[in-house]
Amino acid sequence: MAERRLPVRLVIALSVAVVLAVFLLYTSFAGGATPSIRPSQLNDNIAQQVTLAGIVVGEVSGDSRAEGMHFFLKDFDGDTTVEVVYKGRVPDLFKVGRHVFLEGTMTGPGIVESDVVQGEFVGVEDSMVTKCPSKYAPVEDEAHPES
Amino acid sequence: MPGLGRAALALALVLLVYAMVVGSYAAWKGRRRLLESAQSALIAAAAATAVAAAVLFLALAFTDFSLRYVWEQTSRDLPLIYRVSSLWGGQEGSLLLWMLVLTITAAAAIALNRKLVTNVLPWATPIFAGIAAFFAIVLVFVSTPFATQAIPPDGLGLNPSLQNVYMAAHPPLLYLGYVGLTVPFVFAMAALVSRHVDERWIVATRRWTLFAWTSLGFGILLGAKWAYEEVGWGGWYAWDPVENAALMPWLVATAFLHSVMIQEKKNMLRVWNVILISLTFSLALFGTFLTRSGVLNSIHSFAESSIGSWFLGAIAVVTIGSALLIISRLPELRARAKLESMLSREAAFLYNNLFLVALALTVLWGVVWPLVSEAVRGVAVTVGAPYYDFFAIVFGLPIVLLMGIAPLIAWRRSSWRSLRRQVVAPVGVAIVVGVLLALGGAASSVPALVGYTFSAFVLSAIILEFARGTRARHSKGGSWPGAFTGLVARNRRRYGGYVVHASIMLLLIGAAGVGAFSSSKLVQLSPGEAVAVKGYTLTFQGIEQGHTQNATEVRARFAVSRDGNEAGTISAGRNRYFAEDQTSNEIGLRTDWLRGEDLFVIADRFDPDGTVFVQVIVNPLVNLIWLAGIIFVLGSLITLWPDAREQRRIAERLEALAAFRGGTGPLVEGSVAPTTR
Repeated sequence: MAERRLPVRLVIALSVAVVLAVFLLYTSFAGGATPSIRPSQLNDNIAQQVTLAGIVVGEVSGDSRAEGMHFFLKDFDGDTTVEVVYKGRVPDLFKVGRHVFLEGTMTGPGIVESDVVQGEFVGVEDSMVTKCPSKYAPVEDEAHPES
Repeated sequence: MPGLGRAALALALVLLVYAMVVGSYAAWKGRRRLLESAQSALIAAAAATAVAAAVLFLALAFTDFSLRYVWEQTSRDLPLIYRVSSLWGGQEGSLLLWMLVLTITAAAAIALNRKLVTNVLPWATPIFAGIAAFFAIVLVFVSTPFATQAIPPDGLGLNPSLQNVYMAAHPPLLYLGYVGLTVPFVFAMAALVSRHVDERWIVATRRWTLFAWTSLGFGILLGAKWAYEEVGWGGWYAWDPVENAALMPWLVATAFLHSVMIQEKKNMLRVWNVILISLTFSLALFGTFLTRSGVLNSIHSFAESSIGSWFLGAIAVVTIGSALLIISRLPELRARAKLESMLSREAAFLYNNLFLVALALTVLWGVVWPLVSEAVRGVAVTVGAPYYDFFAIVFGLPIVLLMGIAPLIAWRRSSWRSLRRQVVAPVGVAIVVGVLLALGGAASSVPALVGYTFSAFVLSAIILEFARGTRARHSKGGSWPGAFTGLVARNRRRYGGYVVHASIMLLLIGAAGVGAFSSSKLVQLSPGEAVAVKGYTLTFQGIEQGHTQNATEVRARFAVSRDGNEAGTISAGRNRYFAEDQTSNEIGLRTDWLRGEDLFVIADRFDPDGTVFVQVIVNPLVNLIWLAGIIFVLGSLITLWPDAREQRRIAERLEALAAFRGGTGPLVEGSVAPTTR
């Protein structure tokens, strides 16, 4: 019986090895992970592609289909803001007070002066998503002023 | 009314605690009467939960805004169907639905297997009651749907993008899936505690597992259909954590469905099966946790939640508890039968299991990676679609190959020579299809070409199996159609399974079509101007305005022509919803069923000068994905369909097992008719 035991264990051991090998292969060749940060963390990530997450604060100006739309993003739980320029599709839910994400790169010095990150965050075209087209999340006060 | 709802929930909680405590004692001491009393308490708890759900249902239907939940989820001018579907729209209502489906399912599963549950698996009752009690505690003490308030003039309404019939049906199907999977989990745990670790728990729960798995799979696909039509970026699955939340338990449940067949037939993989079902149930809880707690930065869920820690605790209890239980029962679980050959049906099922679980675990890793990296490095690193696509291909293609090969390999042991003889025809078909497609221009995408070649292999192997079986029956007399239906009717599990496999191939063909060969163009058009994409020409005719019950609509209308022939008009635009103060993108869709191709139009922005930004996408083969969903359900129904012959065989088999006293002994090969083939 002892030698009959072998196959299952061998198969499992081999497949674990294969999975690990595939994983290593993936991480060494493909990579593909981007850091997801807040405006106050931009200082450490100058000129590097990141996903920036924050709350839209006014005022929104410019044309996303022309020279670019300008607005500010603020930390969820802080006061640091950064100016963002973005081109491309604007999601339905985008407006002041909403929680959005976009990919892009920080240009400029990136130093925080009186709660504003110096420079401009340049978004990748069509990369913006708003959080939560979901009824699952509890109601946000700024999104739904009491009627 | 809210008082009645609260009272019903409190009563349900009391009944469930009673069923859990008294049921455990009865199961431990073997007190039959007490156990029956616990079972009755569980059934009564289902009735009490139904009362609570009915109260909330009526409040939603009649927009009773004195209930905070109703105010949060609906508005006065929201159509009735979406007011009612708001029962599972918010957190509290969803939990109530979970508990309702769970208690009804538990009561039904116990009632339908009364003899087995009472005599062999007494622990099923208290375990069911314990899981349901968890939901009752959360609903009574943490997150009640019956909180009241002063009546405001109107409700907050439902997010416009969720006002869609697919989204109304998607969550309850997922819950049916998640909750249905508790049945095999509970029976497995009861089997472990009772030390009756033979396959009776599997035989008794086979149809529950299949039903739950079908609901979950179909629910995932409806969610994809919703994303396609409502989110409107032309895609159908984006590896969002919330989508993955439902996919992971489905993948592991798929592995489980296959590996229990090995236990039924060969009495092998007993440890593996209880591990799989525990993992499936933990992932189902984890899925609910992900969608409800907002722990992840996902476009679906983001707010802090009161129930997150409760669910985390429940997941920990389930995972650790079932792991300890499995470890403590290892001596009984050890299989006596062994794998005889690496080239056998059993081995093929084992490989399929390993790939499915590997895929599920890599998806899980991608989902939790932002949390892990944030904990370790302070910055959340998210993995994108390339990560998931890579693993879906690396682990998915072997699964596809196995779908074609496994049915051709004999049980116990096979030889390379017989395998070669069996696969030569399907491989020939696959090569011909591959060469033809490559010559036809499909070589522009290597993954798609490989996918198509593989699915040609699997589909031809399946067709060959049907043809062989039909010919064999026909040779015994009767008509060809009679032989075909007789073949399927006599082997529902096997041929229903093939139909499900075929549906997965259709899904693959459709997904590869959209992924590799869709074309898109974004332009700004003035009235009278036209845009051409892949044989379609769209001429912008003008803007139309209208309104519905709860929104105003603006639409850009286009005249469509295909290869120079008139093909009607298509409208795309935006809706503005009053109560919710939101706009929503309403895409235009024109389906060519013959080619399985969609013309997909997004009117992105209307400018004051009368121009419109429009994105035109042509998605080839996308409709095969939706067709796959229908065929998937059809195939599952074939395997689920009641079969008197099978029931008789099962009854004989269970008797034979009971004759083994305690039933832990191995089945003697040939003494009992196998349930498949």
